[in-house]
Amino acid sequence: MVVGEITEERDLIIIGGGPGGYTAAIRAAQLGLEVTLVEQADLGGICLNQGCIPSKVWTHAAKKKSEIPQMQKMGLDVSTGEIDLDTLIDYKSQITEQLRKGVEALCQANKIEVIQGKATFTGGDRIGVEYGHQFDTYLFDKAIIATGSTAVFPEHFPKQGERIFLSHDIFNFKEIPEHLIVYGRDLIAFEMATTYQSFGSKVTLIQDDDINLDQAIEKELKRSLKKKKIRLIKKDSLKSIEETDEGVIVSLTDDKGKEQTIEGSHLYTSGDRQPNLEPLGIDRFGIGQTSDGHIIVNNTMQSSIPSIYAIGDVTEGPSLAIKAIKQGKVAAEAIAGKNPEVDLTFLPTIMHTTPPIASVGLTEQEAEEHDLDIHVGQFNLNANGYAKLTGQTDGMIKVISDANTEIILGIHMIGEGAIELSSTFVQLLEMAAKVEDVTFPLYAHPSTNEGLLEAVDALTGQSIHLPPTKQQTKIVERSLT
Amino acid sequence: MLDVKLHDIGEGMTEGEIVHYFVKEGDHVKADQPLVEVQTDKMVAELPSPGTGTIKEIVVPVGETVQVGTTLLYLEGEGAEPQSSEPAPAEADAASEEHAVTQLAAKELTKKRIQTTINRVLATPFTRKIARDHGIDIENVQATDPSGRVTEEDVYQYINGEQAAKPEPQAPTREQAVQSTQPDEIPFRGIRKQIANKMTKSIYTIPHVTHFDEINMTRLVELREELKASGDSISVPAFLVKALTIALKDFPVFNAELDEENETIVLKKDYHIGLATDTSDGLIVPVLHHADQKSIQQLHDEIKELNQKTKEGQLKPADMQNGTFTVSNVGPLGSTGATPIINYPETALIAFHKTKKMPIVSEDNEIVIGHMMNVSMSFDHRVADGAKAVDFTNRLAGLIENPNKLMLEMI
Repeated sequence: MVVGEITEERDLIIIGGGPGGYTAAIRAAQLGLEVTLVEQADLGGICLNQGCIPSKVWTHAAKKKSEIPQMQKMGLDVSTGEIDLDTLIDYKSQITEQLRKGVEALCQANKIEVIQGKATFTGGDRIGVEYGHQFDTYLFDKAIIATGSTAVFPEHFPKQGERIFLSHDIFNFKEIPEHLIVYGRDLIAFEMATTYQSFGSKVTLIQDDDINLDQAIEKELKRSLKKKKIRLIKKDSLKSIEETDEGVIVSLTDDKGKEQTIEGSHLYTSGDRQPNLEPLGIDRFGIGQTSDGHIIVNNTMQSSIPSIYAIGDVTEGPSLAIKAIKQGKVAAEAIAGKNPEVDLTFLPTIMHTTPPIASVGLTEQEAEEHDLDIHVGQFNLNANGYAKLTGQTDGMIKVISDANTEIILGIHMIGEGAIELSSTFVQLLEMAAKVEDVTFPLYAHPSTNEGLLEAVDALTGQSIHLPPTKQQTKIVERSLT
Repeated sequence: MLDVKLHDIGEGMTEGEIVHYFVKEGDHVKADQPLVEVQTDKMVAELPSPGTGTIKEIVVPVGETVQVGTTLLYLEGEGAEPQSSEPAPAEADAASEEHAVTQLAAKELTKKRIQTTINRVLATPFTRKIARDHGIDIENVQATDPSGRVTEEDVYQYINGEQAAKPEPQAPTREQAVQSTQPDEIPFRGIRKQIANKMTKSIYTIPHVTHFDEINMTRLVELREELKASGDSISVPAFLVKALTIALKDFPVFNAELDEENETIVLKKDYHIGLATDTSDGLIVPVLHHADQKSIQQLHDEIKELNQKTKEGQLKPADMQNGTFTVSNVGPLGSTGATPIINYPETALIAFHKTKKMPIVSEDNEIVIGHMMNVSMSFDHRVADGAKAVDFTNRLAGLIENPNKLMLEMI
């Protein structure tokens, strides 16, 4: 190991070039700061290279494959309709490479110094960067920790074998499993279940936790899974997971107390996520951490050490790029002397399942638990003209408003178009919009957008395409009862 | 597995010699327990254990000199909780416990999200930003519109002092009552809000003037080092507060309060120095009472204690009252200048900025390295004029630049 003789000084050092880190770097550069970005592997991080982007290549392919029967109905000749995973893997590599090069080019264009190496804090105001046999020390004025997290197997899992995939490992597997057991830790589990079902696998989904969705959406999701013949088992306790030459055997007790043995050819789990902090050695300098090891930050992402900021998966909350990207911008802006803040109140829940889900704000259960007087409007997509012509009639939109103020409290959708509409949902909540704010504007026709309008109209029993008996309106007004 | 590396213990060290290991392979160690003694060119230091665990392997033998960043030994960690002295739990249990903690954290976040949604201020992101940019909490802004929506105009009215502070809600709702049983948040709200109101009042009442100067800290730094070498570690602020009280006695007009109603300037005889302190809840100003009657050692101890209490949220209202002059010691955070807001109804406030090594011209007309600190002093122009403030900071600088003079003034 060779040690650099000189300690170099930097204004802002960002450790980790994932979606949070590189976004922070670019925003900081836009605001006139000189930025150094340290990344030990590839720019774009797990998200771009192994996680979000590859998984969306998979879910998109699954969605397109599921549309084939509809295409055939419309006279399109889609001869075999089979998917070739070798080609899909090549396609994924091309896409991630293009995106990664794009990020590299942007960093260069913004004059960001990118150092490839492994960073370790050697003081509260300095880091060492190790690359090959070189070890250089950099003094910093401000630092942002954006080192992300690593997937680890949940408890009771055997060591990874040929047939057990942890997280993004599955995107390198060139076969379509005969029977894939998906062990659900999060939303990705549901995505993988519908994806591989679409690819042709038999799928069993073991749900090991409640999903925090509105009850109507969850019900529709379960109905959709059932329709696809995906077997859903809610686990109470896991007994064992065993890998044999032929497959994987899972033994568990389900939520009804029944012992079950599931034999599949392969098993997928998205795993638990552990913040990548240990190699950084920052805990030695007294940074404030939560009991499960995340860095504690304020709403400008500043840690207990004022010169050090932390963003993304190393901080509390869901391990989502949505969060990391916002936090990256805020940290950079705060360091540049602006007054930003992170507010995750209206962080949308997004699932690229077939059909997809987008959900933001209060669910009906949450509103009820808090004794709020609410109106509930619901519109099923099979009454939407555009959904009909595209053959995407599965799903619905549900809106919850405050009965007294008419302020929209939550919007939940399952169905094609949910992901793109989700920004509208979030905007309506951020703007504290009222019912009239949604019903007044003009809507493209025909389009899925109209589904949102109709769901909001249903709050007052005025959805045009629902017969009077089917206006899914519910009024929960405790003050009147 | 944790690799314990030789890290920079300070003063930009690049290498160190391993003098002695306090532990051997297989030993069980706790967090912060000394592991190894290292000799640098300036000092002998002990490196503490970064966590609880077992020493797996000692890599660098005693007597060897290694560079900063070199792994000295490997430690098999026992998870994030360093204080555990019980036998290590079975791995599965540890994992399940960790999962439980994560689950709990997730539930807390959901609870917070729901609360914020229900109790939020009805304002668009743009309006919220105006409030942030002006350093005000939008929760204090009252909506003039009957719909309860806080508009851009409401915020500007509040900023311009055209809006009275929002009345406290009369009876807390059930949700709020549940929340108030949680410590660390609610008890501090009152204190903080009071200070916020004071600040707003200050900026719209007092015609502020801020005067900047620089002070050569070289001798004070040397004196501190000498004291440190003889075992007395005194913080810089203790000296600064001492010098301040002496200077204030010479310029009582800055330790005063303007009583407009009775048309008098009240020169205070007590020297209660407010210490602006940054906390997770924002700016808090605990007061060091009767600072003029205390030795530098006492000042050091009390500043430390107040700091501790502030950070832990243990301050009582009495700890924050009757200040006559406020110090904002922003130096440790950085910065070279500021235009601080006077802690109303006081007359003046001084901010001490970062002490930096700078080339300066010595009395012998040579360029030498000095420790320089900028100060920003805001004062009430109704009470004093610029020349007086300059005289005051000159006196203050004189005392700090020649700390021996401090002794002459001691009681």
